[in-house]
Amino acid sequence: MFKPSRKTIINLVISVCAVILISNSLSCFKNYAQKSLKPSLSLIGLLKREFGGMIFYHRNMIKAEELDSEVEKLRLNLFELREIYQENIRLNNLLNFKQKSPLRLVSARVIGRAVDSWTSCVIIDKGKKSGIKSGMVVINHRGLIGRIAESSDSTSKILLINDPSQGISSIVQRSRQEGLVSGTLGTNLVMKYLPEDAQIASGDVIVTSELSRVYPKGLLIGRVINVGYEFSGLNRYAVIRPAVDLANIEEVLVIIP
Amino acid sequence: MAVIILSILQLTWPGFLVFFHCKPDFLLVFAVSAVFYLDFKSALMAAVISGLVKDISLPGNLPVNTILFSLWSYLVYRLSQQISTDSHYVRLAIVLIAAFFNNIATGLWVINSGNTIPAGIFIRNLIIPSVYSTILSPLVFKLIKKITA
Repeated sequence: MFKPSRKTIINLVISVCAVILISNSLSCFKNYAQKSLKPSLSLIGLLKREFGGMIFYHRNMIKAEELDSEVEKLRLNLFELREIYQENIRLNNLLNFKQKSPLRLVSARVIGRAVDSWTSCVIIDKGKKSGIKSGMVVINHRGLIGRIAESSDSTSKILLINDPSQGISSIVQRSRQEGLVSGTLGTNLVMKYLPEDAQIASGDVIVTSELSRVYPKGLLIGRVINVGYEFSGLNRYAVIRPAVDLANIEEVLVIIP
Repeated sequence: MAVIILSILQLTWPGFLVFFHCKPDFLLVFAVSAVFYLDFKSALMAAVISGLVKDISLPGNLPVNTILFSLWSYLVYRLSQQISTDSHYVRLAIVLIAAFFNNIATGLWVINSGNTIPAGIFIRNLIIPSVYSTILSPLVFKLIKKITA
């Protein structure tokens, strides 16, 4: 039978100890070796990369050109998708509003804006052929936009509520206080002819009144942001922030009576 | 052709280039600057056409801009007989003055129609569109030069 000699056993034990010792200290050794080798390895890698770049310059150049054009195409696609996404949100809002609203509505797209600074109007892509006539009221899902001033066969001009020629009979929703909202050509509207003891405060919601012959009752106009006294001191006025961002409307709904 | 290009540009002027709700009046600049490059009859015709195009693009039935543009065209023609309008700066100054007076006339017309405009907005509409139109008028000058060349 095989009987190991004492020398063999000692050698075996020493070998096992040595393996254990080496394996324990290997990680330290590895770290040290990697640290000391890193600069030379990086340098070699860099040189290899540079030489590779020089050797394959032409191939890389063509590839870079291809990638550049692809990036441009993807950017364009991304831009188009963003536009479509935003349009989708807007149209969804309009569609939801149209479905829920009891009013008969025709949707239209804004194709042009006022040519001067003294009028606040927009041109839409629907006209008499779609049943739109002058005097009809224009809204969107946020609130009142204005009324049709003129209409041709395929286009119509909308006079926005911030045009100074607009006078909308309106009420404060909370207190039912009546007043006349008119445009200022600026961002805000003014509610005039309010009595001295008018029940109106900042934050109040203004809607169209039933006294208005043009606008249906209860259409949201905006919120009061400031209340003051007129120059004469006899009446008060309120500055109203329109519910609709009139400078950036893109789609509208025309109410067909 | 130039009037159509300028009117489309004015109607679809991008929102991010609109400052304080004001945009340049290319049609007015065209009506005024036509006097510098064309003979009087053609310039007057250009002014009438651009005024008509502007009136068509606006709500209302009165041809206010047609009358005003023809008037500015005539006055600039008379002025060009008195002083030299060959200098670029003189032309810019004439466009600025014409735009300013056109805005005063239009603003007073709007007020006279019974509309109330806050004083601040009235002054804003007098100054900013006039200066904006003048700054961009060299583009219209170039367009007329190209057409007449």
